Amino acid sequence: MLRVALRGIRAHVVRFLLSLLAVALGVAFVAGTFSLRTMMSSTFDGIVDAGAPGDAYVRAEPAEGSSVVEGTGAAPAVPMELADDIAALDGVAHAIPEAQGSIVLVGADGTAVQSTQAPSLVFSYLPDDPSLDVVEGRGPERAGEIALETATLESSGLAVGDTTQVVLGGQVGDAEVVGRFDMGAPMAGATLVVVDPGTGYALFAPDGKVADIAVYAADGTTPDDLVAAIAPLVPGDLQVVTGQELRDENKAAIDQMLGFVTTFLLVFAAIALFVGAFIISNTFAMSVRQRMREFALLRAVGASPAQVFASILVQAAVVGLIGSALGIAGGLGLVQGLKSVFEAMGMDLAGDIPVDGATIGVSLVVGTVVSVLAAAVPARRAALVPPVEAMRDDVAVPERSIRVRAVLGALVTGLGVAGVLAAVLHTGEGTLDAALGAGAAAVLVGVLMLAPGLARAVLGVLAWPFVRLLRPVGRLARGNVVRNPRRTANTAGALMIGMALVGGVSVIATSAQASVAGVVESQLRADLVLQSATFDIPKGAIADVDALPEVGATAAFAAAPLEVSSGGGADAGTRYVAGVRDDLFDGTIRAETIDGDLASLAAGEAAVQEDPADEQGWAVGDTLRIAGATGPRDVTIGAVFTTNVIGAPVVVSAETLDALVPPEQQLVDTLAVDAAAGVGVDALKDTVTAAVAPYVVVSVLTQDEFVSNIADQVNQVLVILYALLGLSVVIAVLGIVNTLALSVIERTREIGLLRAVGLGRLQLAGTVTVESVLTAVFGTVVGLVVGVALASALPSVYADDGLSELVIPWGNLAGMVGLAVVVGVLAALWPATRAARMRVLDAVSYE
Amino acid sequence: MATHDGTPIASARGLVKTYGSGDTAVRALDGVDVDFGRGELTAIMGPSGSGKSTLMHCMAGLDRSDAGTVVVDGLEVSGMGERKLTRLRRDRLGFVFQAFNLVPTLTALENITLPLDIARRPVDRAHLDAVVQAVGLADRLGHKPTELSGGQQQRVACARALVSRPAVVFADEPTGNLDSTSSGEVLGFLRRSVDDLGQSVVMVTHDPTAASYAHRVLFLADGRLVGELTDPTPDSVLAALAALRPSAGTHAAPAPVPAASRGPR
Repeated sequence: MLRVALRGIRAHVVRFLLSLLAVALGVAFVAGTFSLRTMMSSTFDGIVDAGAPGDAYVRAEPAEGSSVVEGTGAAPAVPMELADDIAALDGVAHAIPEAQGSIVLVGADGTAVQSTQAPSLVFSYLPDDPSLDVVEGRGPERAGEIALETATLESSGLAVGDTTQVVLGGQVGDAEVVGRFDMGAPMAGATLVVVDPGTGYALFAPDGKVADIAVYAADGTTPDDLVAAIAPLVPGDLQVVTGQELRDENKAAIDQMLGFVTTFLLVFAAIALFVGAFIISNTFAMSVRQRMREFALLRAVGASPAQVFASILVQAAVVGLIGSALGIAGGLGLVQGLKSVFEAMGMDLAGDIPVDGATIGVSLVVGTVVSVLAAAVPARRAALVPPVEAMRDDVAVPERSIRVRAVLGALVTGLGVAGVLAAVLHTGEGTLDAALGAGAAAVLVGVLMLAPGLARAVLGVLAWPFVRLLRPVGRLARGNVVRNPRRTANTAGALMIGMALVGGVSVIATSAQASVAGVVESQLRADLVLQSATFDIPKGAIADVDALPEVGATAAFAAAPLEVSSGGGADAGTRYVAGVRDDLFDGTIRAETIDGDLASLAAGEAAVQEDPADEQGWAVGDTLRIAGATGPRDVTIGAVFTTNVIGAPVVVSAETLDALVPPEQQLVDTLAVDAAAGVGVDALKDTVTAAVAPYVVVSVLTQDEFVSNIADQVNQVLVILYALLGLSVVIAVLGIVNTLALSVIERTREIGLLRAVGLGRLQLAGTVTVESVLTAVFGTVVGLVVGVALASALPSVYADDGLSELVIPWGNLAGMVGLAVVVGVLAALWPATRAARMRVLDAVSYE
Repeated sequence: MATHDGTPIASARGLVKTYGSGDTAVRALDGVDVDFGRGELTAIMGPSGSGKSTLMHCMAGLDRSDAGTVVVDGLEVSGMGERKLTRLRRDRLGFVFQAFNLVPTLTALENITLPLDIARRPVDRAHLDAVVQAVGLADRLGHKPTELSGGQQQRVACARALVSRPAVVFADEPTGNLDSTSSGEVLGFLRRSVDDLGQSVVMVTHDPTAASYAHRVLFLADGRLVGELTDPTPDSVLAALAALRPSAGTHAAPAPVPAASRGPR
């Protein structure tokens, strides 16, 4: 029987190639999604590992619940001198005080070197620091010298020996590139610069305190021994941890930050698995059905049902294994291709594509197991059909009822809708993110299961214009797509998911843009808005703009992450505290005062935003304890207010913030600039632009530009989603091609009949094309409806977080349906040609 | 009986068709000259492999002959391109196959009007009603093929073949899969379409009873026309078939009347 099974594969090469393609597609979808996911997380893991390679770290005791992500942690508190004591211990190879800050590096083309999402970091270079490796030139030894990380050097266009400009500590200065170094991992586009220790520590540890000390063990000393040895030297308010602990903490923190994206990708991968399984089982169901007679013959000559069953499974296993291998290669290739495409479009999906065991294992198992399982159901039927019945001319294989699946689908959809509704109707504290996320995923999966049940009705409507306009092609095509709703729905599955994604995302994006525009227009009144690509406007630039005669007033939005606790002792964790000009709320920003008076800012009191105030139980008159770099300070709450322009939950006057944190450690995120009397906005913009030009990273925007700039930022976040859309469209096209090609083979006799009674080749090709278009449009319409419906729930959930308006981009959605038509036509090309080329007599007498 | 104006509705001259090549070559048609009468039901009979289906396929433009000419309704079929053949089948021919005659996704009525739909011709309501009435399917028109019995399916196929008023209907073993009652209905209908509507029908069959419904029976053996019967009965057809068997010789009574153009040798 094994020989029969393997011969069967050889005898129906085209059919098995198509099955192989189906498995490969399904697996490629899974492998591609998984590797996109792994690619992202491994990139960040690599950065963490390279960023904290030490065996032990001495650092400030992290406060409960505070963020440990580098740069936003507690203020530097570790005295540098401690490093010398630690270095003197036995078993310690190096002890490196670590302090870092931000920098603007000007590249060879005179513009700032920066990537879309990664930061620009600068730190001190110590010759004995093992975490970096000078591979060209030398390390910086005196002020005015810098060394660049390899990728940074490459993207800057500079070479070792060049002189360029940097903005460091708010001042513009010349710097000579004296070397190039490596960090031991790709740094995901971060711009990395080192300076000499004198400059570095003066800037980033002005009071002799650094964020941490990295300790490297000598050979033969374990990290635990190291920690034990260091511990006695460390004062009570500091702690020492192993490098592994720190790395794990950092990874956990990053995972938390990327939580949304990784969870999303995981959900997408699960759905991809679902769709992959659909595509595969579709193909096997068709293939087994077409070979019913062959199996009947085997039965007639004495094969037992078990043998027939086994032979089908063997074939499925062979196809599944080979297909999975191809699929893994295809999936990784697809991701590589998408990555290049996006890079070419200027959207960076950082990191290498990992070929990890988990992706390969999962994909192989999924492909093979699903193939065998998918074949098992029809195989059982084929094995049990009485030979005589199968030998008859019209083998009527009863279609499995789609009722079970429809009921399950309705159930899952219902649960999902309930989850989303719960989040929408939730009026208490916070938002039910988990209910919303799980609900959305359940709706998507539920609709996917329901799709066959929906297919007949939806396709009936979609096909109506074709039926009316293209006689008889429309009617034939409609008959073919509704003939097997399960197959049509499964084929459309990949597209359905991709389109749900796009529909949802485009609604969110347009709504977010509209909301931002609304907020900015109604709440921010400034002639110009200055922002920095490094998220910190150099202090020198602010001083220069202030000094311009054309400038009437400026308002800097400075902020610093600080420990905030309320008077009652309840710890609110690290919060951004913003410092603003006293009269900011009089003109530039319009805020809604809930309680108290914003004028109290001038008196050194704090204003808190409504949501965190509700959350923490803060009220006017309460006292907040803010832990500044210079020690804790008590501030009375003078007002509760709400505005969408300022993100920080706590706002104090600029003087108060300066007292808490030295100005050079504050981040100035935005600078609002108003013209002096009689100066036009255009003239002001030209002048200000010229004034900040030396600082390279500062962009000067009018209010309109500011709005569209924020919209662009929203779009940047969507890059990964577009990558997934690309993946699902490619899979969808190939899936439709596959199903159509098999369906054409399956319908050979019917096609022969149609041709015999006079259907022309073009009409036949037209029928196949209309089928394909209907399938694609069906997937798109259902997907878009689901995506748009889910996204429409968001503004009511996140209204308080700034997503206040719901805007449905009808034009974009129509464009997607247009894309579906193109996809359908493309997918039909080959199967339609194949059908049209069939010889009539062969088709009529096809067995 | 419909009028005979003498000119055949379809004819072939010197038709040759060979399958395969070299040692395995099979001459399915070995120089066939034949005329099918206008307004007649003509049956083609012969043992398996005699070339009867090939003859019909060549006549209907479904297959290409290696030599010889085929003329249907005044048009030379041999030498037509694919496009012209499609138009010929659509406008001038009707087909009834042994099985798989209907498009499963269309209702009985949609199947019947399919040729008109394909040609984008208007449906002649009166003619359609007459045809539907004649096949006795008026109450089954909204059903899908799977909801019809085998006999009903074949009657729908017959109605479809007739609805476009083709010059000739080619029926390939139209009753091959039917029980005797259903066969009788289908054959009776085909015969009435000839007698009442003046339709020309060519039918391939191996069933003497089916052949007895014809006005004329042609006998084929080894790719040659070996005899014919007019106004046959089941018995006379059986006898003629028996006479064709090599062991029975060529003199069994009643001997088939030699075909006009070429007799048995």
